[in-house]
Amino acid sequence: MSHKGKNSASSAKGKKPSKAGAESKGEDVLQAVVLADSFQDRYKPFTVETPRDRKLTLVVLQCLLPLANTPLIEYTLEFLAMNGVQEVYIYCGAHTDQVEDYIGRSRWAASSKSCPFSVLQFVRVADARSVGDVLRDMDKRSLVDGDFLLVHGDMVSNLILDSALAAHRKRREASAANIMTMILHSGGTEEHRTKTKGITPVFVVDTKTQRCLHYDEMNPLQSDHYLSLDPAIADELSTEFEVRADLIDAQIDICTPEVLALWSESFDYELPRRNFLHGVLKDWELNGKMIYAEIFEDGYAARASNLQMYDAISRDILGRWTFPFIPENNILPKQAYKKHSNNVVIETGASHAHDAKLQNSVIGTDTDIGSGSKVINSIIGTGCTIGANVTLENSYIWDGTTIGDGTAVSQSVLAGNVVVGKDCTIPAGSLISYGVRISDGIAFSAAAVLSTVTSTGKPVTGATALLGPDGNAAPFFDPEDDELDDEDPSRLQKSLIYSLAHLNLSSSSISTLASDAGSDSDDDDGNLLSADAAHSSRSRLSSFASDDSAGKMSFHADAVHGLLDALRADSGDFDSAKLEFMGLRLANNASDAMMRKAVATAFVRRAVELVGPEQQQQGGGGTGLDPSKAAERALTACRGAPKFVNEVGVGGGEAAQVDFILALQRALSHYYAKGQDQGGKTATLLPAMLQQLYALDILEEEGILGWWADARAVEGEAMAGLKEKCRVLVEWLESAEEEDDDDDDDDDSD
Amino acid sequence: MPSVSSGHALDLEKFLKSLKGQPLEASINSLISLLKRRQIKGSEPCAVATAHILLQVVARSKWHDVDSLLANVSRTGRKLVGAQPNELVIGNIVRRVLGLIRDEASEDRGDTADESASDAPTPTDIVPPASSQQWTTRRLDSASSAAPAARPPIVSSYSSINPPKSLFHLLSTSPPADGDVSPFRNSGASTPTWRGNSSQIHALRSEVIDGIEEIKDEISQVDDQIAASAEVQIHPGDLVLVHQPSTTVERFILRAAQKRKFTVLIAVAPPRRHSAESQHATFRKKLSAAGITVVNVMNGGLMAYMSRVNKVIIGARAIVATGGVVADAGAAAITRAAKEQGTAVVVLSGVYKLSPESPFDESSLIEWGDSSTFVSFADGPLVCGAEIRTALTELIQPELVDTYITNLGTHSRDHLSSLISDHYKREDADFHIWEEAEP
Repeated sequence: MSHKGKNSASSAKGKKPSKAGAESKGEDVLQAVVLADSFQDRYKPFTVETPRDRKLTLVVLQCLLPLANTPLIEYTLEFLAMNGVQEVYIYCGAHTDQVEDYIGRSRWAASSKSCPFSVLQFVRVADARSVGDVLRDMDKRSLVDGDFLLVHGDMVSNLILDSALAAHRKRREASAANIMTMILHSGGTEEHRTKTKGITPVFVVDTKTQRCLHYDEMNPLQSDHYLSLDPAIADELSTEFEVRADLIDAQIDICTPEVLALWSESFDYELPRRNFLHGVLKDWELNGKMIYAEIFEDGYAARASNLQMYDAISRDILGRWTFPFIPENNILPKQAYKKHSNNVVIETGASHAHDAKLQNSVIGTDTDIGSGSKVINSIIGTGCTIGANVTLENSYIWDGTTIGDGTAVSQSVLAGNVVVGKDCTIPAGSLISYGVRISDGIAFSAAAVLSTVTSTGKPVTGATALLGPDGNAAPFFDPEDDELDDEDPSRLQKSLIYSLAHLNLSSSSISTLASDAGSDSDDDDGNLLSADAAHSSRSRLSSFASDDSAGKMSFHADAVHGLLDALRADSGDFDSAKLEFMGLRLANNASDAMMRKAVATAFVRRAVELVGPEQQQQGGGGTGLDPSKAAERALTACRGAPKFVNEVGVGGGEAAQVDFILALQRALSHYYAKGQDQGGKTATLLPAMLQQLYALDILEEEGILGWWADARAVEGEAMAGLKEKCRVLVEWLESAEEEDDDDDDDDDSD
Repeated sequence: MPSVSSGHALDLEKFLKSLKGQPLEASINSLISLLKRRQIKGSEPCAVATAHILLQVVARSKWHDVDSLLANVSRTGRKLVGAQPNELVIGNIVRRVLGLIRDEASEDRGDTADESASDAPTPTDIVPPASSQQWTTRRLDSASSAAPAARPPIVSSYSSINPPKSLFHLLSTSPPADGDVSPFRNSGASTPTWRGNSSQIHALRSEVIDGIEEIKDEISQVDDQIAASAEVQIHPGDLVLVHQPSTTVERFILRAAQKRKFTVLIAVAPPRRHSAESQHATFRKKLSAAGITVVNVMNGGLMAYMSRVNKVIIGARAIVATGGVVADAGAAAITRAAKEQGTAVVVLSGVYKLSPESPFDESSLIEWGDSSTFVSFADGPLVCGAEIRTALTELIQPELVDTYITNLGTHSRDHLSSLISDHYKREDADFHIWEEAEP
């Protein structure tokens, strides 16, 4: 037909010219980047990776898990299609194959004619370990050339972004510094199931301009239950602002390409909110960029980022809040759901006994429900068999599961092809993974987390004692749980039911505001030290200095943190860390002394970590390394680190060396003084490190002996104590010198 | 509206613009998505979109004879109906187009077909002659040229006496695939002679396209034509109650306002959250400019006014075969109140909204909407503790309606069935059901 030529030509340049007469592509084409792997797996045991040769293929990516019988990623893609996005780039992490396979078979496939996107491309990033790595890679490839939406693959939303996009464009045209607009949804002041549990995002937003001024996250586990604001916010940035902890953040961002460039500049940022947003807002003076927040009152937006949110969003779907993305609208082409009375949505092909009591539920095709069963507030997938007199409440049953007569399931997730015997009781909070079989008459007393594989994907032998003779699964333990810090709020999000009951929460009062201001700095000013400085230093959540030395303190904190991260990585190149450090130095106009202090603190902290029991994190034994080993590892594990210490940390003659040793000593003295001595190991770190530095030719005899003679080295008890530990080393040095060269004797008196 | 065109979100306007630029299959799928996502909703936009896409189907899909064209159209139609099953208008337009194709085909064929076809004995005698004609049309895709082909918009005289009469009749509309051998299968007008005649196909294509253009015109002119009867209906001094006036109702009232002096009560839904305070503000301004007194009344307070109201005017979203009216939620209570007080209830509707369907399960006609219409999602306790349902439409029982005004004039309920048979071929009535079983 005559149309053909025209069609192919036009489809090549974009299927839907959404604006007639608009010439420039950058203005007209809306692009989106979908992060289908968020590097934060909170769906265990459903997303455990299994070796390929196993028959049972499991879904390992959370974006393919069914939410109300529709894979999560469908909601994201529908949302993008609804908003007229035309070019979509999907990053799916390590499991690209699975998602590509799924998309390839769906209507979104580029080959299928029904795909509303003109471009749907998978982005592969080798060796990415965080969202930050992915976005930095995106920047290098420059795939996006105009405004784009940055969304996650597990997002459910029905917002129409036209107004926000228009506002964003207007702001961007007004100033190139306006780089990003976040889409947030108001969640009300009261308790709400769809607010993220455990981690509360706090946004400080200017009431008039909607500029976001500060971002922080709070959680019930942190010891200081308050938020510190940079006084500059009140002084310079805004006259009227709101601090909002009620917002539901679906992490939908309208970005300009400069956002990616900013990610590239800060190579240690990992998370879009906690690192990137927080960092960019904090350094507003430095980068000059501004980020805005559009807060929606209507509509719906949420991210099924963990099982609790999965639960909440499923309820919202049942409650029709996500309209039009509800089962009865049959978003997937093959679906055939119909609404019946009692708000039961049943797909054609499903059957249920007449006396089965169904209420507020979704039932997929080919599912059969026996007589006398009760299904309330539940979602049942396709091809399930529910026996007679079964009670399902607030539960999610995925495809192909069989539940025997008389079994009761409440508030649990039963994944695909699970077989539950007769007269079982599955209590609230249970998570039963794919293919698990449970014998008749098993009653769990507490929430059970069962899987047929271990966390590394190896098959387990059935715990028949627990699951009866047919049992083929075992309780699932995630070793990462143990590794998690007690204060890491992500542990709160691992279960289906959010609970603080078993936790021992501290209750600091708000009046500690001032005294804790410098807790991130490990500064040598005693009054700034708080008891938990060592702990809070690892969390970027903590406060910022509010006094005059804000710049210096933040330089110190940032520099130490950056170096520490690089050191913790152990392997890897130190050059980037060095680059960052120098950048920070220039930005803050830091003096040599400050640099020296920061470097010394970072290395000391790393060494202390290695000595201490936290060494477990690295997979080592329970007690930590020997001081001399720790010193060696801290200083030499990273390629380039010794050079860095030599050039940046010491960087000069004898006086500089003395200063550096003093800085080391001071940093160590905090640990020493606080009694965190790890059985004397911390104290012996100083001579160990000095020896190591000496061996590396970074410190010379003159420097060490100079320090030995320096009066500053004995200020205070802790310092003196530490110094004393080095006596053996110094004596050895002295004697070695005498043997080598008599001329150096006079250096003692210097 | 510049704000609309500059946005990226899809709507009817963008969809229509995109029609030319993309392959047919993509257009159909994109319309289905839009309907499913309710980005095109409401009877008029749905009707317009359906007419446009069917025009594309006729113009661009591959077909070599009438049957394949009918199959193409009904396949597409079925998908569209499935995308928004509660919007009866979509099915109506599909039926209109199917009927149109049948008419055009029989007309064209009439020139070459065996004249005796219409005289041939029909399988039964209880079928009245006029309907047997239609029936044979369906059977053979051929009919005599004796009767002028009735193009849907034109009300032909003969078919109005053509209501479903017998059980046999219902059965006889089953598809030809059932193996029933018709006596006309071998007559001179059989399909094979038709096949391959490109000039005839070309002629049929352009005829059908013209017909669909007429349907599109009809949809666009409905409001004007309905408004034409406004002066007859509204008398000076009347107190007229309208419920959430649609554009059709607004035009109707404004037309009456040019000549008459009367009072308008606007029944409004409870104020939506965040929305601007005064609903229908522009309508009220226009009315005031015409010197009409306007009063906004909440739905709840209506009973008090009802005794004084002379006429209730309701804009229909669809009318089912029994005369029941699908209208905006809230209208049913008003009509019931009107019935109690003996007030006349007038329903305004384009003929294209009149559906031959009469579902036995009335609740299936009701469209349920977004829960956040009246309750804020930010209200945590309410969201978590209560089940919230928002009905967008309601079914008004036929006995509560006194008069139907369409673009063809004023009708009583009894007259609706003849309107239906004027506009739809009986064999198309259940197109979305009976072909569903076929692959």
